[in-house]
Amino acid sequence: MSYSVAVDRAGAYSEAAPARNRVRALALCVFAILLLLGGRSVQLALSGDPLASPRAAAPSAVRRGDIVDRNGVLLATTVRAYALTAGPARVWNAGETADALRRVFPDLDRATLVRRLNDRGRDSIFLRRSLSPEQRQHVLALGLAGIGFEAEERRVYPNGALAAHALGFTDVDLNPLAGIERGLDARLREFGEAGRALPVSIDVRIQYAVEMELDAAARAAGAQGGAGIIVDGRSGEVLALASWPNFDPNAAGDAHETTRRDRVGGDVHELGSTIKPFTIAMALQERLSNGSEAFDLSQPLVIDDTRIEDHELTPGPATLRDILMHSSNIGAARLAMRVGGERQRAYLDRLGLTRAGRLQIGRNQAPLAPAARGRRDVAGLGFGYGLAATPVSLAAAYTVFANDGARVEPTLLLQGLEDVVERTPVFSPETTRQVLGYMRSAVTDGTGRAADVPGLEVAGKTGTAEKLSGVEGYDENRNFSSFAGIFPASDPRYVIVIALDDVANGEAGGVVAAPAVARTLRRIAPMLGLRVTAPAH
Amino acid sequence: MDKALIRRSLHITAAVLVAALAIGLYKAKTDASQTEAHVRDLRTRVADAEAEMRALRAEIARAESPANVAAMAQTHLSLDTGAQSEGLPETAIDNRLPDARAGARVER
Repeated sequence: MSYSVAVDRAGAYSEAAPARNRVRALALCVFAILLLLGGRSVQLALSGDPLASPRAAAPSAVRRGDIVDRNGVLLATTVRAYALTAGPARVWNAGETADALRRVFPDLDRATLVRRLNDRGRDSIFLRRSLSPEQRQHVLALGLAGIGFEAEERRVYPNGALAAHALGFTDVDLNPLAGIERGLDARLREFGEAGRALPVSIDVRIQYAVEMELDAAARAAGAQGGAGIIVDGRSGEVLALASWPNFDPNAAGDAHETTRRDRVGGDVHELGSTIKPFTIAMALQERLSNGSEAFDLSQPLVIDDTRIEDHELTPGPATLRDILMHSSNIGAARLAMRVGGERQRAYLDRLGLTRAGRLQIGRNQAPLAPAARGRRDVAGLGFGYGLAATPVSLAAAYTVFANDGARVEPTLLLQGLEDVVERTPVFSPETTRQVLGYMRSAVTDGTGRAADVPGLEVAGKTGTAEKLSGVEGYDENRNFSSFAGIFPASDPRYVIVIALDDVANGEAGGVVAAPAVARTLRRIAPMLGLRVTAPAH
Repeated sequence: MDKALIRRSLHITAAVLVAALAIGLYKAKTDASQTEAHVRDLRTRVADAEAEMRALRAEIARAESPANVAAMAQTHLSLDTGAQSEGLPETAIDNRLPDARAGARVER
């Protein structure tokens, strides 16, 4: 009996042994798991959570390329900025928080700020965008509860107001609104993705000189606006493009709309006498006149009850050169009537004066170019009335003098050697050279004398177009005064247009615009590899 | 060898193997996540560095802008590059340069 009991116990013991082992194994597993968890806790305590999200401060990539000038000078870039945010639920005291924030941003409206900070229905609100790192530090130093930041990007223009109208600007979300930013938006994104900067044709040194001289000329003339453009007539590259008054694109939202207005590609004006070289070229091209023909300009011209006069009567017989030198409306009107409305329109079309330009500045104002309805309109077009175009369109038309009679479309893109320049033939090389000679005379002996710079051989034409003044017609005291020229005449290459809008006392282009051209050219000549020589005494 | 002993050894071996695999998997995942976090951190630091570089480049461009240079030239050198300036004729360059003979004397 006792033996059987002992055997049973031994059997039970041997059967229970694997179970005990399993329990031990399970205990070991549990211990191992606890050990792992303990180790993990120590790891987390000492080194932080490696699985946690990285700090969300840095935007991952810049999607908008920088803009650099033709020499690699930085014109626009994207930098890190911060948006000031608030979580209304976490703000302790809206009034005190608003007062503290207004110490850093005095322009914030207190009542609005308090109302928004009390809006507990929203998790987060934006209080201000595009903060600089310094502004962020100032706010952080306030130690305000419920106030935070979100990283964002901001477009900055290191040169301030320089080339503001050409570059344009973006909104706080980097959406392009004007200028190159808008006109070359797709390309800027493409370059941004590739991590490259987009080179444009502008030269900041030339741009600065043009802007300074335009500013001085506009202030001196009491003008309401001004425009200046310099184009490499052979490649079409725009070297400078300036509007006056200007603004700081870093604070475009604060600028008055008048200052943001692009007057080079966005404003149209009747061009006045700067169109006369084309009228003469049309007559020469169509063999309707020649350089030796003598015109009698001593009497006013009456066409359909409209009297066309010159500011100063030209006594005696006048040649084509005299017509241009003395800016004769009578002579230009006669030539225009010889050309006729149909042919005149065809030439104006090919000169690009009857359609909107294609410069990459976001918005090119379409010209006001109604078809001529009679002899009077044709005659008016001959000396620059009845057709309103932008200064950039005028500059583009003047490129015919740099390309043996072919027009080149202006561009803000830097042209490489492999880029093909599209040329639209308008006049023959002979015609172009002949008119260029007349334009040179207009500068040496005619209305554009103030634009002459020894050594640079400036050729050009002044323009003084009276502005329309409501129903009363043209106002002779309100002028669009300009000078359009090309230099050097012996090897024509660069086109310059300086225009002043609504100058005080109705000063003529030869008085206010031509001197500005001369001063500008004196400054930029070395940058173009040209030499100003000493004036002859 | 006893069958039970073999089975037990196999069980133990399997358990050790499973445990080793579990620990290995845990370590691999932890290492991977650590590496991933490190890469993210590096990317953030690169982005930070790039942002700082862009800001510095913008600051350099601002400092070198023609308007700033002109203002500094006027302030520190009394050189006016304003609207009344004129291009320097070639013949005037000699007048602006130091006297060559004086320079030669100094060198001697």
